[in-house]
Amino acid sequence: MSHMISSWLRRRPRLVGYVAAILIVLFANLLALIADQALGYARVSMIFLGGVLVVAVVFGSGPAYLAAVLGFVSYNFYLVEPRFTFGVESEDIIILIVFLAVAMMTGGLAGRVRDEAIRARERARTSAVLFQAGRDFAGMGEEAAIAERLAAGLAEAAQGPAVVLIDGQIYGAAHAALPSGLADILAVFDAPGATSAQEGDWRLRTLWAEDRRLGAAAWRSPGSAGDLDEVPLIHVLLDMGATAMARARLSRAWAEIEATDRTQSLRNALLSSISHDLRTPLASILASASSLRAFGDAFDAEVRNDLLDTIQEEAERLNAFVGNLLNMTKLEAGALAIQGTPFEMAESLDRLVGRFERRRGGRAIEFSVEGDRLVALGDPILFEQALSNVLENALRFSPEQGAVEVSLRRLDEMLVVEVADAGPGVQSDELSRIFEKFYRSKSANENLQGAGLGLSIVKGLIEAMGGVVTARDRGDRSGLVVSLMLPRAKT
Amino acid sequence: MSAEGRLLLVDDEPQILRALRPALTAAGYDVATAESGTAALAHLAVEACDVVILDLGLPDMDGKDVIAHIREWSDVPIVVLSARDLETEKIAALDLGADDFVNKPFGVGELLARIRASVRGRDRRLSGQASFRSAELEVNFATRRAFIQDQEIRLTPREYDLVRALARHAGRVVTHKQLIAAVWGPQATVDAQFVRVLVAQLRQKLEENPAAPRVLLTEPGVGYRLATDEDA
Repeated sequence: MSHMISSWLRRRPRLVGYVAAILIVLFANLLALIADQALGYARVSMIFLGGVLVVAVVFGSGPAYLAAVLGFVSYNFYLVEPRFTFGVESEDIIILIVFLAVAMMTGGLAGRVRDEAIRARERARTSAVLFQAGRDFAGMGEEAAIAERLAAGLAEAAQGPAVVLIDGQIYGAAHAALPSGLADILAVFDAPGATSAQEGDWRLRTLWAEDRRLGAAAWRSPGSAGDLDEVPLIHVLLDMGATAMARARLSRAWAEIEATDRTQSLRNALLSSISHDLRTPLASILASASSLRAFGDAFDAEVRNDLLDTIQEEAERLNAFVGNLLNMTKLEAGALAIQGTPFEMAESLDRLVGRFERRRGGRAIEFSVEGDRLVALGDPILFEQALSNVLENALRFSPEQGAVEVSLRRLDEMLVVEVADAGPGVQSDELSRIFEKFYRSKSANENLQGAGLGLSIVKGLIEAMGGVVTARDRGDRSGLVVSLMLPRAKT
Repeated sequence: MSAEGRLLLVDDEPQILRALRPALTAAGYDVATAESGTAALAHLAVEACDVVILDLGLPDMDGKDVIAHIREWSDVPIVVLSARDLETEKIAALDLGADDFVNKPFGVGELLARIRASVRGRDRRLSGQASFRSAELEVNFATRRAFIQDQEIRLTPREYDLVRALARHAGRVVTHKQLIAAVWGPQATVDAQFVRVLVAQLRQKLEENPAAPRVLLTEPGVGYRLATDEDA
């Protein structure tokens, strides 16, 4: 009940004040008539002054002036001799004039103080609403969240339901209560600048960001919106919201550009990788085969065999690369079926080192095993593929007469294979990045070609088998150590 | 010393060296190899060499820089090995003074033909031959006349300049930029489109079927090449 009255009072502040002024003066008349019996007329002027003061404090200066005039008239009419006429005896004129002057001044002053207080409160509320909204907008990156927050702020400022429309989507708690047809009007509403239009008892405004229409907002204010102090607040709020959304939109567009850029450079890296990693073996195969065709008879058996070996090895290398590409695709699609079987890790290593016998050139591979019955759980084929990528890298980065050390040992419930190369090593800030797809160490020579795929596939494969891959600096001398860990099979 | 001369093969991939060496040797070249640009330059500084085969992707330096270094003091023929999609690399290499290129992957037949054309080109430059002759085309540099199957064809001055530039490098690729310099002058700022138009005009006069050229061949994205009898 009190809420209803107070909200009604808030909606009709001026009218209420004047009506109340009349009522209070009537009440003062009543009091004065009663008091007159006991006190005599000269003292009851205070009752009217009191009434004027009350009106001034509660309803402001306008109603106070009305109350002063009414009080003056009725005081004159009822209480000043001759009573019940507006006639005045000469000695009372001074009293009446003084009464009127005092009533006007009191009412005016008190009313102005009250009006100021209300305006100050209103300003404080406006700033609070704007400040809070601004802070919230700043913390939001999503357009939808900003629109939702703007609709809430608008509802608060308008003290009624409010919605915001962006990209055909309506935000705000009131969207369900929107009158039929208003959504359609809102969708195409486009008025210049900060002008708003009336549509039924709703007001509509376009949201702008740098002269471009972002969307529109609608709200319903209880009072006639034109008189409300909230109107500037509403427009400032809407402009702030629009700016915040434009900023969000811009940063999203920027992020998209960056993502496209990154995709583009990934694609370029992949292309250059295919160009090199596929073409080098192909070039060797084609050169060898065409040499055999052109000069086969002129070559002795040893040369012919060597060319045939080249063809075979390079074909195997191609096959491994294609396998890598396929595995990467499967890893990315999450479609790599891991067959978790126990396997002897030392055997796998031995087989692999043997396969690298021809490829290692002048570099040595030193292989050591610590302990026995080192049975890991995982897929031996995928493990060998992963380790072969690591070995390939280690050989590539090691100098011609360097040695690559491969060791196997047990660490609690894991089996650890470490591959230490004699290359230049990797900067410590790059250690975690070398497993990223297409990442190539900055210290690696620019002209040393390669896709930057190998280690990312290693990580993908080993982690898919429940293992861990790490890299660290060799420490004692330059070189990189890559550790592959797989869970030990329970025996 | 071998019949065809000394050849330096520069590539960082050992398997390429391994695959090429026997055929180059069998073709009569005395083959030396280098796995880096530095090694190649060091080799050329002390050893005489008749032709260089250079991979553009080297571990220690850019292949183009190797060409620039070599060209500071030597006009030894250089044949570049490069991937097909790296057109700008190839053009830059040719403009820096490489004689020709071969796309990877390649057959040895193609490589040997390019090597021979490059070596011959140098011989021709040195001997200052007065004419070019192939089965189809004859260009007489002294009289500025051209013949197709012994029939004289009338060429505009620009068409003649173009055909002469190509004939001087017969069998080897000539880039758009080099052709522009030969026809319009080294300072000219002419679009490659003009070269295409001029080539199209010339083909109307040289080719039996201009849509399927046999004499004036296109190297896509790089330039043009005048066919020698070896291409037939």
